Amino acid sequence: MTVFLQSVLSGVLVGGVYALIGIGLTIIFGVMRVINFAQGDLLMLGMYLAWLAFKRYHVDPYVSILIAAPLLFLWGALLQKALINRVLDALPQNQILLTIGLGLVMSNTVMLVFTSDYQLVTTSYSSSSFPLGTLSVSQPLLYSFLITAAITAALYWFLIRTDTGQAIRATAQDRDAAQLMGINVERMSVLAFGLGAALAGAAGTLIAPTYYIFPQVGSAFTLKAFVIVVLGGMGSVVGATLGGVLIGMTESLAAVYVASGLKELVVYVLFLLVLLFRPAGLLGKSRM
Amino acid sequence: MRPPSPLLRSPRGASIVAVVVFLAVAAGLALVPQLVRKPYVLHMWIVLFLAIAQGEAWNVIGGYTGQYSVGHAAYFGVGAYTTVMLLDMARIPPWWGAWAAVACALVVSLAIGSITFRLRGPYFVLASIAVAEIIRLATLYFKGFTRGAEGFLVSDIPALHLFGAEIEFVTKRPFYYVGLGLVVLVIAANWAVQHSKLGYYFQAIREDQDAAHSLGIHLAFYKNVALAISAVFTALAGAYYAMYVKFIDPNSAFGLDLSVQIVLICIIGGIGTILGPVIGAMVLVPLSEILRNPKGLVQVGILSPDSRAVAFIEAHFANAHVLVYGILVVLVILFAPDGVLGLMRNGTRRVRRRLAERRAGVEAPAP
Repeated sequence: MTVFLQSVLSGVLVGGVYALIGIGLTIIFGVMRVINFAQGDLLMLGMYLAWLAFKRYHVDPYVSILIAAPLLFLWGALLQKALINRVLDALPQNQILLTIGLGLVMSNTVMLVFTSDYQLVTTSYSSSSFPLGTLSVSQPLLYSFLITAAITAALYWFLIRTDTGQAIRATAQDRDAAQLMGINVERMSVLAFGLGAALAGAAGTLIAPTYYIFPQVGSAFTLKAFVIVVLGGMGSVVGATLGGVLIGMTESLAAVYVASGLKELVVYVLFLLVLLFRPAGLLGKSRM
Repeated sequence: MRPPSPLLRSPRGASIVAVVVFLAVAAGLALVPQLVRKPYVLHMWIVLFLAIAQGEAWNVIGGYTGQYSVGHAAYFGVGAYTTVMLLDMARIPPWWGAWAAVACALVVSLAIGSITFRLRGPYFVLASIAVAEIIRLATLYFKGFTRGAEGFLVSDIPALHLFGAEIEFVTKRPFYYVGLGLVVLVIAANWAVQHSKLGYYFQAIREDQDAAHSLGIHLAFYKNVALAISAVFTALAGAYYAMYVKFIDPNSAFGLDLSVQIVLICIIGGIGTILGPVIGAMVLVPLSEILRNPKGLVQVGILSPDSRAVAFIEAHFANAHVLVYGILVVLVILFAPDGVLGLMRNGTRRVRRRLAERRAGVEAPAP
C-alpha cells in the first residue's frame, strides 16, 4: 500500500509539470489549430536558461523562471509572427513539418553552442525530501508542483477573468466569429504562441533540478505533451491539466508495477488506445 | 507546355523518353566504380542511394497517398534487425535475410496500418510516431532477444557466389552495386504505382478521402496496400544500411530522428513525384556528409589537407548536419511548399513563358 501511495504521490507531483507543458501545447492548438512539434524544444531552451543562470550567476532555478518565461514568451511571439503565421492556411502536414524543422534548428543550435554533453543543475535540495507519514516527498518535485499550481491558477484567472484572456478563448472557439466581433485575431495568435512557449520555458526551469539537461531532451517531452493533450481533448486547458496529472501517475505506477524501462511504452500504448476509442479526449469535446 | 509527340507515349501516359533516360542514367552509374576508386566518393554514392531508397519508399505512402507517416523508422529498424539477427544467430546470409526482413515488415505494416489508419490528418501523424516509439522502447527493454541498447555488430558477411563469381562484401564496390540495384528497384516500383490503377486510387485518397470513399474506393484497404509497399522497400533500405554500417542499435535503427529525416528527404525534394526524393537526397546527402566528415573533401582533392575550411568545419559544424535539415525544411515549407523540384519547375515555366512572350512580341508587335 505504501508503495502504491508513494508512486501515486510522486506521479501527481511530476504530473503537475507535465500539465504545464500540455497546457502550453493545447493553447497554441486551440487558437491556431497548429500542432507545435517544437514544444519540447522550447522546454529544452528553458532548461538551458536555468542551467546557464545557475552556473554563471548562481541563480536558483526556481527564481530563473522569472527570466526564462518572459524570454521564451518573446521568442515564441517572434516565431509566430515571423514564421508560423505564414502557414496558418497551409496543410496541417506542412505546419507540423515547419514546427519539426524549427525544433531541429533549436536543438541543434544549442548542441553546437553547448555540445551534447549532459548537464546537471545540482541544488542543495536536489536529492532531499520531506517525510510525510510513511511516505517521503521529494523537495524539488514538491516545490515545482507548488509553483506549477500557482502558474496554472494564474493562467485560469487570466483566461477566464481578463478581457485579453476572453479574447483568446473566443479566438479559439471560432476564429472568424471572433474577428467579426472586433477581436484582433492576429494579435491573439501571437499572444497564444508566446504564452505556450513561456509555459514550456517555465516547465523547463522547473524540471531542471531533477532531469539531465541535453540538447535532444525535447523530443521526449514533445511526445508526452501530445499524449497529455489528446487525453484531455485537443484545445482543452482543463483537459490538459487533468491529462498531465494522469500521465504523471500512469508513468510512476507503470515504473513500479510493470517495469521502469517500460513506463514510456505504457504511456504510448495508453495514448493509442485513447486515440482509437475516445479521439475527442477523455472529457469529450471541449475547447478551452 | 507542348505535349510530347503521341508516338513517344504509352497508353497510360508514360513517356518512353523518361524510361530511356532512366535506364541510361542507371547504366551510366553502373560504370562509376570502374572509373572512380576513391572510397570517399563511393561512400557518398552509397549514402545517396540509401537516402533515395528511403525517400522513394516513403513517397508511396506520403507522396501518392498523402498519409504522412512519421514513424517509418519502424520498418527501417525491422528490416535492419531481422537481417542482422538472422546473420548473427543463424548465419543466414543477408540476401536471404532480406526476404525475411520484407516478410516481417509486411506483417508489422499491416498491424500498424490497421490501427493507425482509423485516424486522419494530424492524429495519424501522432499515432505513427507513437507506434514507432513503442517498437523502439520495446527493443531497448527486451534485452534477452534484442540485446537492448548494446545493439548488434555485424562481424563478417559471407561471400556471395553469383554466376560463378565470388563476391566479397569487404570493399565499398559491392555495396555500391547493391545500392544502385535497390534504387532502380524502388524507382521502378514507384513508376509502376504511378502508372497503375492503384496509383490513381492512392492519389484520389490523397486529394479527398471522402470523395474517394464515395466513389467506391475502400480507404482502409488501399491505404494498407500503400503502406505495405512503402514498408517493404523501407525494410530493404534498413537491411542495406545495417550491412553497410555494420552496427545497429535501437536509437539508430528505430529513432524518431530517422523517421523525420526520411520525411524531410521527400519534403525538401518535392513529394508525390519520382524525381522529388532523388533531388531531396542529392541536396541533403552531400551537405550533411561534408559537414560530418570534411576530411573527405581533402581525399577527393577539392581542399588541401591544411586548408582552414576543414579545421573550421570540424571545430564548429561537426554535428551540424541535422541543423542543415532543420533550416532547409523551414525554408522549403515557407518559400517552396512543392520542394526544390517545384521551384525548378516554376523556374523553367517562367523562362519558357518569357521566351514565348518574346516570340509572340516579334511576330505580332503590339499596336
